[in-house]
Amino acid sequence: MTTDKQYLLSDADVAKFIVTGYHMVQLDLPSGLNESIAQQLDTLDYNPGDAITDVVPELNQVLEHPATTGVLKSLLGHDYIVQSHRHWHCKQPNSGHMQWHQDSVNRRDTSINRFLGLFYPTDITPDMGPTVIVPGTQFRNAPTDRMATYTNIRGQVPIVVKAGTIAFTHYDLWHGTAANRSEVKRHMIKFLFGRNSPNTAPTWNHDPEALNAPRDWNKKDKAEDANNILTFANPIGVSQSDHYKERQIRRQCWNELMGQTA
Amino acid sequence: MSQTDPSTQPRQRLLYLHARTPSVFSDILGYTPIEPIKGFRPEITATEQDWPYNTIHDAIIDGWQIVQFPHLQAPFDDRDLDVVGYEFILQKMEVVSQ
Repeated sequence: MTTDKQYLLSDADVAKFIVTGYHMVQLDLPSGLNESIAQQLDTLDYNPGDAITDVVPELNQVLEHPATTGVLKSLLGHDYIVQSHRHWHCKQPNSGHMQWHQDSVNRRDTSINRFLGLFYPTDITPDMGPTVIVPGTQFRNAPTDRMATYTNIRGQVPIVVKAGTIAFTHYDLWHGTAANRSEVKRHMIKFLFGRNSPNTAPTWNHDPEALNAPRDWNKKDKAEDANNILTFANPIGVSQSDHYKERQIRRQCWNELMGQTA
Repeated sequence: MSQTDPSTQPRQRLLYLHARTPSVFSDILGYTPIEPIKGFRPEITATEQDWPYNTIHDAIIDGWQIVQFPHLQAPFDDRDLDVVGYEFILQKMEVVSQ
């Protein structure tokens, strides 16, 4: 399936994903689709696990939307994989927060090889127990137990979004949830995506001049071009030592996505 | 033996502060208060962060005492990234109402 170029990411988008570990898109789904999905989830009385897309087939339209496929092709290549694993996360009213964690074991991937798609069929407000992510933590090799003494972290981002939003998050990004103090269920469908083969060339809307912008010491992390984003962005204000390590990993990621293997 | 009401006695309040560097003057990146109140749990929130201190030094000025400094003896690796910031644990002994 071809994807209209308008849905592919820009160089700056790709650089921001490498730096922050997330990218959000509000999909323009057909009228009534979000409401229909939410209504079915509201009344579902068991968790079908991977079969959630069989039980609520409209969810396939999220996976097939050109803005979704545009992100997947841009970051995982034209032959990206939609894994069979998916899960409905229903956060019940008056349920507590969930502590920070990285999924799976403490062995991190410093490439862009797999990430999650978190789809929200309703508006998500701060009191509904939104997912909360910590930008830039996806390259940290940190056992979840070591996060047990953290609560709020400067620069954390609650995924407070409009209905129909899908948040693409690097698999290793630190994440948790706030408590749901509202009277409604908070629905999120998690999808898992992977890379099938290494890039041999950029798969997004790449401008060959992208990395030629001079370093802008005045804008620094406010700059909007790929070169300065990769160089200066420091979303949670980590130390100079960590920031220099991040820069190296970012450049390695960028080069891999460009098809320039070391 | 007389029974003493614990709410009238000084009890240990804790602060886990994660600073940008091991210096007490560097910015705080993580803030976790632990109050000696039954059922108290700190929570990740989805609202704007409003912390009373910007640095460990600010907390010291306000009467907090450091009871554990960050561990710096871990094997040095200048490539790998692990946890965010450097953990200071502080305490204040105060009478805390339930």
